[in-house]
Amino acid sequence: MNKEELTQLISDLLQQMDGQPQVKGSEYKPRDPGPAPAPGDYADGDFVQDVSALDLRKLYMVEDPANGEKFRRLKEKTPARLGVGRAGPRYKTLSMLRFRADHAAAQDAVFSQVPEDYAQKHGFIPVQTKCRDKEEYLTRPDLGRCFDESNQAVIRKAVPNAPKVQLVVGDGLSSAAILANAADCLAAIRDGLKLKGIETGEVLFVRYCRVGAGDAIGDVTDCQVVCMLVGERPGLVTDQSMSAYITYKPHTGVSESSRTVVSNIHPQGTPAVEAGAYIAELLDTILKKQVSGVGLHLEG
Amino acid sequence: MQSKTLYSVGLDVGTTTTQMVISRLQVENRSSGFTVPQMVIGDREVVYESPVIFTPVENHLVDGKAIIAFMEAQYEAAGLQKAQIDTGAVIVTGETSRKENAHQVLSNLSGAAGSFVVATAGPDLESILAAKGAGATEFSRQSGQRILHIDIGGGTSNMALIENGQVVSTGCFNVGGRLLKLDESGKILYRSPVLEGLTSLKIGDSPTLQELTALAEMLCSALEMASGRKPETALLRQLETKESQKPWAVPEGALTVSFSGGVADCIEGEKDPFAYGDLGVLLGKAIRKSSLCASNYRIGSQTIRATVIGAGCHSTALSGSTVYRKNVNLPLKNLPVVHIPYEKCLDADFSEVVRAQLHRVDSANGVLYLEGLPQMDYALLTAVASGLGALPQEPLMICMERDFGKALGQKISLQYPHKPILCLDGLLFEGQSYLDVGSPVGPCYSVVMKTLVLQKNE
Repeated sequence: MNKEELTQLISDLLQQMDGQPQVKGSEYKPRDPGPAPAPGDYADGDFVQDVSALDLRKLYMVEDPANGEKFRRLKEKTPARLGVGRAGPRYKTLSMLRFRADHAAAQDAVFSQVPEDYAQKHGFIPVQTKCRDKEEYLTRPDLGRCFDESNQAVIRKAVPNAPKVQLVVGDGLSSAAILANAADCLAAIRDGLKLKGIETGEVLFVRYCRVGAGDAIGDVTDCQVVCMLVGERPGLVTDQSMSAYITYKPHTGVSESSRTVVSNIHPQGTPAVEAGAYIAELLDTILKKQVSGVGLHLEG
Repeated sequence: MQSKTLYSVGLDVGTTTTQMVISRLQVENRSSGFTVPQMVIGDREVVYESPVIFTPVENHLVDGKAIIAFMEAQYEAAGLQKAQIDTGAVIVTGETSRKENAHQVLSNLSGAAGSFVVATAGPDLESILAAKGAGATEFSRQSGQRILHIDIGGGTSNMALIENGQVVSTGCFNVGGRLLKLDESGKILYRSPVLEGLTSLKIGDSPTLQELTALAEMLCSALEMASGRKPETALLRQLETKESQKPWAVPEGALTVSFSGGVADCIEGEKDPFAYGDLGVLLGKAIRKSSLCASNYRIGSQTIRATVIGAGCHSTALSGSTVYRKNVNLPLKNLPVVHIPYEKCLDADFSEVVRAQLHRVDSANGVLYLEGLPQMDYALLTAVASGLGALPQEPLMICMERDFGKALGQKISLQYPHKPILCLDGLLFEGQSYLDVGSPVGPCYSVVMKTLVLQKNE
């Protein structure tokens, strides 16, 4: 298989992927000003050092608008690529380059690895699913949901007593998301659980991880709830979005509808620490109600 | 999470009239269910409007008892119990706010209206509520037009400059329809002290229509100056009220003027000049002929009811949906808010900074509004939490705009388990200096951010 075929295969697979939802524009909160700098003063043809650094929400590029300021304000509410202007029937050069840069960042996030020393640095127990490498991980979703004997033994040793809550970090489809958010989010979750008097044991870090790997961890540890922080399939908005998947009584074969998910955890969505505090409370509720997923009704 | 309905009451005790509305605010969760909740107030609907009555005044004092009786009668007419009211605001406006007992009456009224109904006052807030109640902010938001909204009541005119739906500045002038009151024979019964030195007419005179028209035109010219439609003279500042936080900056550039208040009803159409026994009709006519109406202008979707609808529908806001509260009882009323640059939390003399800020508002405790909070990682969160937790104030009340309320409150609580804490986010304080926190609404809290400025009688 040559590289082009592989890329095609992967992009097809990504589209059919279950579990990880794509970052949705409608869930994007405009409260955070986004990455600095904020060059709303970019004018057509300016030299730009790094197209990715431009804040698209502040940029309105239509020539001779009736009310450009009004449109620019509307744009601040969405990451959608609106009001980008055109050159004849085509994109302007900047739009084209930015589109490709964002696409490249999304691909990089999928293909890059969480560094070898990541787990050790944060005191997590590193394990690996049955996937041998990234390519197998991308082409064989089934293998990303289970562990071989030796990895199961590692988990069993690290988590000898059935815990109430088993915390897991999985690389998923975005290493960038994990590096940006997982440790901060986890620290806040642990604080929150401690406040509620819920002790947590060792945190597992799973390489080549899919959401279903949490079920296999449930089989091995017999935990009441598994909470997995996992990198979301990157879209063109951000490559740093992370989700938390929470499953009550996880075991292999549990239905997808029994998972509660908190998505969109990244600096321009819900900040990692705030999401952590929320997840801790959610875990407490799930333990009390003994249900997760669609059966869980939160008081409105 | 299902949507929830809040009943909100608005009561406006103005210079001339008093009225009340009850509205229904629909609280909705805007998030998809796969993210953290995001509660917002969606629809606002007025479900009951009281008749407009003359503000009961006795011996130059507001008759609080009469207003309470009026209010009780309205609850009955609306078929609602006080206990069903979730939120709302009582506002004392115009000349009434200068009465000696205004403060007393205001706090009595807010108590009598329901336990979550808050007391508000101050010309800046009045301007904002009138602009919102008259639909001027919404009109600006939808059309993109720059609007100067003027609410002309009995005693004062409240100005609000609106850009893209946001009120950017406010002001207040002693221009109103009831600065002069006439009896049926046309004799002057009352002349507001603000007219001192501006007219030779005095109590007991029987002015001609020309004299009254001239006075109305003079008052109108002050509004023209305030709108930048006429060169400014000494008159403008003479008529400006002293209660505003900042003097009115006359706007430059193109804008559309929009009107509400009782006088707005007299701008268009023909009315008997003495229909109300005051200057109102003549002032309306003067405005119609003036530069204010020379180009496109707009009469608000609400006129005489703009302020009360603003108070009923637009005074309540919601905090962020991930917040923290521990051992703090609600409601909390009239909490002074002090602005603290967040980096001060990291300084050794932080508690001294907070004490000094609170001292400036004559208070030992209040809400600390953290300014300039950046995107926080866990390390910074921990540092900020340590600084805040070490403060002696109990309960510890913190708020901020950015979405960190729950994480911050939780972190402080972990370090200081016995401290009562209220930590709210999603609140942007600009000119407002007081906060009321009402009942929980799902995961968040209903709040009123307000100014509370009552001038003592001079």
